[in-house]
Amino acid sequence: MDTTILATFTPELIVLGAALLVFLLDVLGVRKLETFGAVAVSATAIALLAVVADLGFAPLAVLRTIPASSIDLPLGPSLYVVTSLGLVFQAIFLTSALLVSLASLSRPSDEKGSAVFFGLLLMATVGMLFAAVASDLIFLLLAVEITGISTYLLVGYTRKDARSLEAAMKFYIVGALSSSLSFFGASLLFGAYGGTSFSVLARGTSVIGYPALALAGYALLLAGLGFKLTLVPFHAWAVDVYDGAPDDVSAFLAGGSKKIGVFAFFLLFTGPVLLAPALGVWCPAGHCSTVTLRPTLELALGVLAVLTMTIGNLLALQQKEVKRLLAYSSISQAGYMLIGVAVGTAPALAGATLQVFAHVFMKAGAFLVVAAVLGLGVGPRVEDWKGLARQRPYLMLAFALMLLSLAGIPLTIGFVSKFVLFSAAVQAEGWFVWLAVAGLLNSALSVFYYARFLKTIYLDSPPPDAPAPPRLFAPIGYGRSAAIAIAVVAIVAFGIDPQPVLSGMQAAATHFVAIGA
Amino acid sequence: MTDLSVASFLFLSGALLAIGLFGILTRRNFILLLIAVEIAMNAAILNFVYFAAFAGTSQGLSGQAIAVVLVGLAATEIAVGLAIVLALNRQRGSINVGEATTLKL
Repeated sequence: MDTTILATFTPELIVLGAALLVFLLDVLGVRKLETFGAVAVSATAIALLAVVADLGFAPLAVLRTIPASSIDLPLGPSLYVVTSLGLVFQAIFLTSALLVSLASLSRPSDEKGSAVFFGLLLMATVGMLFAAVASDLIFLLLAVEITGISTYLLVGYTRKDARSLEAAMKFYIVGALSSSLSFFGASLLFGAYGGTSFSVLARGTSVIGYPALALAGYALLLAGLGFKLTLVPFHAWAVDVYDGAPDDVSAFLAGGSKKIGVFAFFLLFTGPVLLAPALGVWCPAGHCSTVTLRPTLELALGVLAVLTMTIGNLLALQQKEVKRLLAYSSISQAGYMLIGVAVGTAPALAGATLQVFAHVFMKAGAFLVVAAVLGLGVGPRVEDWKGLARQRPYLMLAFALMLLSLAGIPLTIGFVSKFVLFSAAVQAEGWFVWLAVAGLLNSALSVFYYARFLKTIYLDSPPPDAPAPPRLFAPIGYGRSAAIAIAVVAIVAFGIDPQPVLSGMQAAATHFVAIGA
Repeated sequence: MTDLSVASFLFLSGALLAIGLFGILTRRNFILLLIAVEIAMNAAILNFVYFAAFAGTSQGLSGQAIAVVLVGLAATEIAVGLAIVLALNRQRGSINVGEATTLKL
């Protein structure tokens, strides 16, 4: 057996092995959450180091498993291809899994089903890692399905809570719908081009000769994967699922597994397809015209991006519950990321990647803080959080930084990522400038509800007659504190100097765009 | 190559997909909804088998191989769906999707 294949999949195999180990320990009768958590944290941390080493980070060169010469090769008939942008996304996915498993260490140590939680979290991560190296449509969709099936179960893993079971059911129905759309789209592309490899799609040689077939295939894939990425009008499930899921799972869904959709969009709608030739000549009613894919897609993606951010923000304005507010804000953030896909140039992809990177710390971090606060016995509505900054100053300071970063206030990573993304859209000229304008207007709109939330936390005082939550001053646990601290440090440090990550992302995006040629 | 024309075949698989999607969107009983999911997946599987007749043999995965993998995937998905049905039934004594309204505003 060729061992270079195994070496290529080192991070995937580490995480997969850890998932199987967790399930095995469960069968052997281990019942301690700390044991499973330690396996998950160490596996994701080691895999993260391996990926960072593969990206060419010099101090970790010993850990390198993929030689630089086999990264960013041109697309071939193979099922997988290692791109540096894919490695960047693997690092982002592993970071989100690491943060969530670190925070989950602080849950009660005798909690039922903790092995299922960590095992499924790791399995979902395996799917995300595989998606990041896909070079074939079926390979990509199967990886997305591994993540999907793991996360449906993850949402309902407690099996006792009616709310989370209902969320799991809704998530499952929407997921099944989206996967049948995606696979049907893939089958149409297979019919149109005679293969599912990205190299075949990029060549775009039609074997059947219906341009409409490929166009319908791409449209169905856009819808199917749009569900995963919570694009409007495929977003409605996300709010119920993030609301009903156990809090740490919401953090993983919003901060981690949703991003698989972003990379799938990168693969399908930018790199290989960017330079795809004409779909064919189409002659409805005797009037022939050449159908090309990219302009049609650009328009569809641009419209979806504007719709997603605007509707996400408008609905977030009306939310009274903390988790639902964060869910809608997560939908609008997906709209910003989609700007990068619509523009499709290397700087725009780098900007969208930075936005995804930032979103892990901002959104997963915010959901982890929410999990901590709800664990203290504070209610789920925004008004229950009145004056909380006086009782828990450090926790609320962290939360405030995350919200400010989501709003895009300078000196936070959220500002840098939006700046890079919008300026890339302006550089691309044409009607893309309007995407940047829509993004800016939406950022201004979003500041309103974040600021209102912060005012509730910092300026309002709690109603004098209300009983204080019983565990208000209880510690939140070392694991959770560490995860929140990492997120805060990343938000501020990369907000002040994004260059270390940004330059890597720009180089990776440049290679990625060139791969499709 | 084949007696069935592309247009009539696409009509067949498109109809299967439409039946499946209609079922997913309208069925209130979770078990019937799972059957609808299966029908929608089978539309895609059927497409792969049919289009394999047109595809070149040397271009990556063959249509038949993809179909077999997708049959496995569809079974996995249904198994997960049944697990959720069981948990729901134990929790609430009902598998009616329309009664799941706790999460509305």
